[in-house]
Amino acid sequence: MARLFSDAWQVVIGIETHVQLKCRQKLFSRATNGLLSDSPNSRYNVFDAAFPGTLPKLNPKCVDLAVRAALALNCNLKPRSNFDRKHYFYPDQPVGYQITQYYSPFALDGTLTLPKLGRRVRIKQIQLEQDTGKSVFDYKTQSTLVDLNRAGAGLIEIVTEPDLRSTEEAAEYVRSLQTLLRSMGVSDGNMEAGSLRCDINVSLNRHGEPLGTRCEIKNINSVRFMVAGIQHEIERQKSILCAPSPMQVSQETRGFDEHRWETYTIRSKEDAPDYRYMPDPNLGTLTLDENTIEHVRNRLPPTPEATRNRLINTYGPRGVSEDSIDVLMGLDSSLDVPFDGGTISNHESHSTNSVAYFDTLCKGRDPREVINWITQTLLGLLSTMGKSFSTSYLATSQMGTLIDLVSNGEMTRSSGRLLLRHILLHSPSPDTSIRRLAKDLDLISIGPTDHADEICRRAIEALPSEVAAIRSGNKNVLNRLIGWVVRETKGKADVQKTRSRLEDLISKM
Amino acid sequence: MRVARLLLRRCLSTSSFDPRNAIHEKNSSINAFVHISDCPPTIEAETSSQSACSKPLQWTTVAVKDNICTSDMPTTCSSAMLENFTSPFDATVVKLLKRAGADIVGKTNCDEFGMGSLNTHSIHGPVINPFQTLRSAASVSWRNREKRTAGGSSGGSAAAVAADMCDIALATDTGGSIRLPASYCGVVGLKPSYGLISRWGVVSYADSLDCVGLMAKSTFQVRRAFDVLETPDPNDPTSVSKRLREATAGVLREFSPLKRRSPFEDSQLRVGVPQEYFAQELSPSIYNSVRTILKALKDLGAQIIPVSLPSTSYALSAYYVLASAEASSNLARYDGIEYGTRIPLPPGSDSRKASKVYSHTRTQCFGDEVRKRLLLGTYALTADAFDNYFLQAQKVRQLVRNDFDRVFRWPNLRTAEGLSSSSLSAEGVDVLIHPSAIRTAPLLPRETASTATKSSMDPLDTYLQDVLTVPASLAGLPALNIPVPTIQDDNVSADSDQDGWPVGVSIVGQWGCDRLVMDLGMVVEVAMLSSNTQ
Repeated sequence: MARLFSDAWQVVIGIETHVQLKCRQKLFSRATNGLLSDSPNSRYNVFDAAFPGTLPKLNPKCVDLAVRAALALNCNLKPRSNFDRKHYFYPDQPVGYQITQYYSPFALDGTLTLPKLGRRVRIKQIQLEQDTGKSVFDYKTQSTLVDLNRAGAGLIEIVTEPDLRSTEEAAEYVRSLQTLLRSMGVSDGNMEAGSLRCDINVSLNRHGEPLGTRCEIKNINSVRFMVAGIQHEIERQKSILCAPSPMQVSQETRGFDEHRWETYTIRSKEDAPDYRYMPDPNLGTLTLDENTIEHVRNRLPPTPEATRNRLINTYGPRGVSEDSIDVLMGLDSSLDVPFDGGTISNHESHSTNSVAYFDTLCKGRDPREVINWITQTLLGLLSTMGKSFSTSYLATSQMGTLIDLVSNGEMTRSSGRLLLRHILLHSPSPDTSIRRLAKDLDLISIGPTDHADEICRRAIEALPSEVAAIRSGNKNVLNRLIGWVVRETKGKADVQKTRSRLEDLISKM
Repeated sequence: MRVARLLLRRCLSTSSFDPRNAIHEKNSSINAFVHISDCPPTIEAETSSQSACSKPLQWTTVAVKDNICTSDMPTTCSSAMLENFTSPFDATVVKLLKRAGADIVGKTNCDEFGMGSLNTHSIHGPVINPFQTLRSAASVSWRNREKRTAGGSSGGSAAAVAADMCDIALATDTGGSIRLPASYCGVVGLKPSYGLISRWGVVSYADSLDCVGLMAKSTFQVRRAFDVLETPDPNDPTSVSKRLREATAGVLREFSPLKRRSPFEDSQLRVGVPQEYFAQELSPSIYNSVRTILKALKDLGAQIIPVSLPSTSYALSAYYVLASAEASSNLARYDGIEYGTRIPLPPGSDSRKASKVYSHTRTQCFGDEVRKRLLLGTYALTADAFDNYFLQAQKVRQLVRNDFDRVFRWPNLRTAEGLSSSSLSAEGVDVLIHPSAIRTAPLLPRETASTATKSSMDPLDTYLQDVLTVPASLAGLPALNIPVPTIQDDNVSADSDQDGWPVGVSIVGQWGCDRLVMDLGMVVEVAMLSSNTQ
C-alpha cells in the first residue's frame, strides 16, 4: 500500500530540531541549568525572571558546544553572527521575547549522512537560542503554573533542507543526530526528557512537480510519535489532494495528539504571529575567529562513524568482529554526557566510556580476549545481576590483571568469571590487588606438574572401571575423569591440560 | 583660586549635618525626590576614622534617578507598573557609589521609564523647576511664583542638584534626558560615551542609547563621580573593555590640547560650531549664550570653526523609531506576572487567554506617553514596516555617526579599534559646541492650559527640542551641558524671551573623549566666573 502510494506521490520532509546544550549554566545567565529532579522555580536568577535592569551575558561554554555541533555537521561557521529578539507574550517567557539568531545564524550549509540508508541530508542552518520556561496547567485550580527552571537554558536549533523522503529516513535522521550530538558531548539528546525536540515539516507532491504546501507538526518528543505524526499527516494530506474534487493543503501549524495518534490544527498561516524580530541591542556581534574554532576543533571527540571505522581498522585484522564492535559502541549509549564539553577522563574511573576502556585494555593484550571479556563476560554477568552496564566496577588495571591471569593460564576461564562475579557483587576498592584477591579466594590454578599429576593419578585410582572403558576405546568416558578432577580442584584445574595429562597417564599404564 | 575654594567648600559642606532634613523641607515644593532614604548610621561612625577619608566620595550626598535599581529603596520608574517594586539588587553604579563612601540620599523623580522631556509623565507628579530668577527671588513667595518644568526625563535629578538637595545626582540619558533638564535647571550634566558606565541595574528604555550620567553644580563634582563610575563591568555586555579604556586614556594623555597649566598656549584647541544646530526655532537668548561662550573661548586662544553635520535633520525621526522599537521590546516584560503591579480582570471576564490578562494590566498601568511609544515601536518592528522604519533608521544612525567621525580630528576608538595613536588629523575639531535646548524651561502645563502659550506642550515641539541632543545619543558620544550665566545686561531690552531662566550649552566630543569634554567644561566655568566678576 505504502509502495503503491509512494509511486504516485513524493513525501518531502524537513526537520527542525531543538537541542538543549549540556552546559552547567544557562545561555545568558550564570544560573545553574535545572534538572528534572529540581523543584520548580529553584534554578533561575534575576535575568531569567526578566527583572528590570538585568542584562544578558553570553556563556562561552554554550558557544563552544554549539560550534562542536556545527563542526560535527560539517557546517560553515560564520565569523560574525548576531542575536535577535523574537517577541511574543507567553507566561513561560517572562521577558516577552526569546533571544535567537534569526537574521544571521552562526552556522550554515552542513550535512549529515544517514549510515544505514546512506542518504545525505543537507543542514540549512544552526542557530543559538534560549529555551523557555514551562507552563503547567493545574486542572484542580484551573490555573497555569509557571516553572522558570528551564527559562534561558541554551539551545541550538538545527534546520534541515527538505531532503527527507520517508518516515524511515526521518526516523534515522533523528536517531543519528541524537547519537552524533551525544558522542560530541553537545547534548543528552534525550527526547523523553525534552532535551531534544523536533518540529517536522511535511508536504506531498507528484514526482516531477514542484513541492506541495507544507504543514508543520510542532514539538514532537519521541521518534515513535514522529513516525506516527508523519504517517498521519501523509494520509491526511493525501486525502485532501486525492479527494474527488481535489483541494489544496492549507499551510498550518499542527500538533500531535499522543492519545489519538493524530495531528490537529494549532493555527493556520493567517493566524501566524508576527514575531517582530529585532537585533538584540545588548549582545552585539558573536565573533568566531579561527583560533576559537581551532580550539574547539582540536578538542572535538571523534564522531561515532570515525570511532567505528577506527575500531574496525585497528582491531578487525586482529580478529575482532564488526558485530562485537557495534555491541561495544552500543554500551556507551546510556552513559551520561558530561557538562560543558568535558571529557570522560580515565582517572575518573567511575565514568570511563567503553571504547576508551577497551582501547586501554588492548595495549599488550589480544583484542579478541578483551572484547569477549567486556561484551560477553562482563555484560552477561551484569545483566544476570540486573545491573546496567558500566565500566566503573573495576579499573582498567584490575580488569587487565584478571584477563592476564586467565590468558597466562594462572587461572581458568571459569575461575576468572567467578572472580569477576565476586568483584561485581562486593565492589572492592579500586586499588585492591586482583592477584591477591584471586589467591585469597583460592582461584589460582594448581601448579603445572607435580600437584596436577598427583590429582590425575588419584582420579585414575578412584575410577577404575571408567579407566578400563577408556582403555577399551570408549574415549568419551574420559570426560568423567576430567569432571572428577575439576570437582576435586574446585574448578582450578584447566580442562584442556587435565585432558592431555590424563590421556598421557592412561596411555602409559 | 576662588573657584577651587568654592568647590572645596561645596565638597565639605555636607559633613556636619544630615542633609535629609533640608531635602524633606524643600521637596514638598519641588517634588524632586520620590523616596528619601534613612540616614545611614555609618556616617557618624566613619567621619572620625582615618580610612573613611580615603574614600573618594566620602561625605558626598548623591541622589539616584528612580529608574536605577536600589535594593534598599523602591525603583518605580515613575510608573504605576512598578509603583510597589523594590529591586532585589543594587545597580553596579549604586554599588560603586556606596563603595566610594557616597551617602545615597534618595531616589529622584523622572518621566515614566525615561520617556518624556518635561518630567510631567510621572505617577509622582511633575517636578517643579527650583530656579529663582533675580526678579522673583526676593519678592515673590514660592507659592505665587511661575512654575516651570525642570525638563525630562531626569527632571528630579536636575532639580535636586539645582536646589542643593544633593551634591551629585545620578541620571540617565537616552536622547537628551540629562542635558535638557540640566539646561532648564541651570546645572552641569554629563551624558558620557556609550559603554563607559555600567548599565547593569539600570531599567532599560532603549538599550543601544541608554547612558548613565551625572549632574552637579560644577564639572569638578561631575568629574569626581565619573572617575568612580568609569570602570568595566562584566555584568554589562556593552561595557567597554579595560584595554580599550586604557588605549583611549593613552590617546587623550598624549594629544589633549588642554594641557593643565596653560590650556591654549602651545596647542590649538579647535572648537566646531555645527550650523545645523542653529535652527529657526532657537530663541535669541539661547543664541546669545552660545556666542558668549564662543567669545570667551576665542579670547583664550581657541579657534572657532563652523562645521556641518548634514544628517542632523534625519536624526530625530531615526531616534524615535529606534528608541520606540527598543522600548516596545524592553517593556514587554511588564506583564504583572512575576513582579510589579497586576490589575485583576473584572469578575466574569474571560481569563483563559494570557494575552487578556496582560493587556488589561498593561493598558491600566502604562501612562499615555509610554503607551504611545510602545505602539509606535511595536509597529516599527512588524514584518511589513521593519525594512522601511527600523532598517532605515539604522542606516540614518550610521550616517549620523559618519558625520561626527568626519568633523572630529580624533579617531573613534570604539569603531576603529587598533587605530594607531600616532597623530591627530590636522583638519577637524576637538569638540563641538551648540545650545543644549531651543528655549528656556517652559511653564508647567497646568499653568498654560488656558493660554496661548499652550504650544509649549505641543508634542511635536517637545520632539523638536530633541534635535539638539539626539545626534550625540545616536552616535554614543560624550556631551556635557554647562549652564551659561544669565546676562544681566541693562542694554538688553525687556524682550519676552530674555526671561532670566537658565540656558545651557553643550560640549560634545569624540567617543571616549569624556575627560577632554570635562576639562573644557571646567575651563568654560572659570572663564564665565571671571567674566562675571569683571
